[in-house]
Amino acid sequence: MKKRIIFYNRTGFTTLLNREIHRFMKVPVQTVLAPLISNMLYLAIFGGMLQTRQVGIDGVNYLHFLVPGLASMGAIFAAFQNPAFSIISQKFQNTIQDLNSYPISNAEKILAFVFGGVFRGVLVGLLTYAATIFFVGYEIEYPVFFVLSLTATSFVFASLGLICGLIFDNFEKMNFVLAIVITPLAYLGGVFFEISKLPGLLAAIKYINPIYPLVNVARFAFIGVYEGNIQVQIIITVVLILGSFLSASYIFKKGIGIKTV
Amino acid sequence: MLEISNLSKTYQRGNKEALKNISLKIEEGEFTALLGQNGAGKSTLINILAGNVKKTQGIVKIGQYSIDKNELETKKIIGIVPQDTGYDFVFTVDEALKNQSGYFGIKNNDDYIDELLEALYLKDKRNARLRDLSGGMRRRFLIAKALVHQPKILILDEPTAGVDIEMRHTLYEFLIKLHQSGTTIILTTHYLEEAEILCNRIVIIDDGKIVADEPKEQLMDSFSDEVRIELHFDHELNLADLEFLKGYDPQIEEKTSLKLKVQKKDLSKVFRMITDKKLEFTNIFVEKPKLEEIYLKLISH
Repeated sequence: MKKRIIFYNRTGFTTLLNREIHRFMKVPVQTVLAPLISNMLYLAIFGGMLQTRQVGIDGVNYLHFLVPGLASMGAIFAAFQNPAFSIISQKFQNTIQDLNSYPISNAEKILAFVFGGVFRGVLVGLLTYAATIFFVGYEIEYPVFFVLSLTATSFVFASLGLICGLIFDNFEKMNFVLAIVITPLAYLGGVFFEISKLPGLLAAIKYINPIYPLVNVARFAFIGVYEGNIQVQIIITVVLILGSFLSASYIFKKGIGIKTV
Repeated sequence: MLEISNLSKTYQRGNKEALKNISLKIEEGEFTALLGQNGAGKSTLINILAGNVKKTQGIVKIGQYSIDKNELETKKIIGIVPQDTGYDFVFTVDEALKNQSGYFGIKNNDDYIDELLEALYLKDKRNARLRDLSGGMRRRFLIAKALVHQPKILILDEPTAGVDIEMRHTLYEFLIKLHQSGTTIILTTHYLEEAEILCNRIVIIDDGKIVADEPKEQLMDSFSDEVRIELHFDHELNLADLEFLKGYDPQIEEKTSLKLKVQKKDLSKVFRMITDKKLEFTNIFVEKPKLEEIYLKLISH
């Protein structure tokens, strides 16, 4: 009977985590600056154009409404890309089998990849916030909760990024998921406008869109105002964290994408 | 040190049976050559040991640990030099080796990394990016990477493929020293003279089965019923004068050198025949069959 080992090699875990962080920090223009510039452009264009239209929550300054959405969206993309890109590039470089040779438990390996994504996601999210201080001021209603909400969002999408990295064997498929699945979900997840204001069936998308509760929780933490039932959305966030992480763990432990059966 | 019992592997894709119930025991300090054609099962065996391929059945013990029950402990015992020279283009040699040490739970490994880089002639490349190394340097880097945690067993999967002859001999010297320092080494190669020079045990896999597993000398002896002898004379030879040796495939080279193929049991008889004819030779070489010939005999279907 194989022993179930969760924590086995702390130095190995921190080295793997450092590598995942080091990897994206070596190319900061591509991994941090580019999404930051995109978010600032969104803020300038959408914020400038739409702040006089009632697309945000009634009674809330539109720029204040937009910042937590942009921070969450930045975190989503950054957190997803980090483990997905790392795993696929290791497959591309034929170094993925190295992962199997380390005396590091599966749980430690999974957490290292996910935490690497979380770090990048939270960093991009917070930098987005920092860059908007000049336009909207620095006040956050619940600062710790805002960081936690970015962390939760990043955790969910880092886990999903890990799954995609394991399942897919090239960047084209990863980019397909980003462009065809995640981007539309983000745009329809309440980043730029209040979903309830969408007409007819489009408004119902929020019930099946996992990004909607994540953005809404971040917005609640940022401005103290929310759409729908925030308690339910917090519970959904917890379920998404557990569901995405357990799915990633299952696929990793099965050896999909890293072992030959 | 390494014990494999009734190991089988059938790949799900294509239902290909790559290993067929093989058993193998490698003792501490051995330098074993694992030989076989492409697709014979060598890489499957190595990949099972490395954890890259899931076995279908059988028991594998590395050191005192089973790969089924104590997989993580087994990882510390082996170092693997893969066939592929894949590399992470983001990192330098130094960063990659420090990371590799960290994965094995080792902090502050700079002194040993220095030693390895010195021994593998990579010291001046310490801060070079991996993508800037030549093919030969990358091969040496992979050996350093496999050794940073000082494994008791080093497994090399065709480490000299595509390496120039000078660098190949540098690697031979390094591996000989490493073996002398007590590391158990398993080497797969298609250069049979490499196995002949370096290894003291030969394992040949053919079609997923072990067809030979013996100490090198024993294997060579068991196939050396026929030897080649070369006799040097201080005068020119004439094939017509050597009619009495016609059963031994006589061949004259450079006018004064005679080559014969002789069964071991007939050696005394042949020498007697030559001396009876008052042919005095000045030098003699006896050559056993090369590993390559033995290998070809064993894998011929």
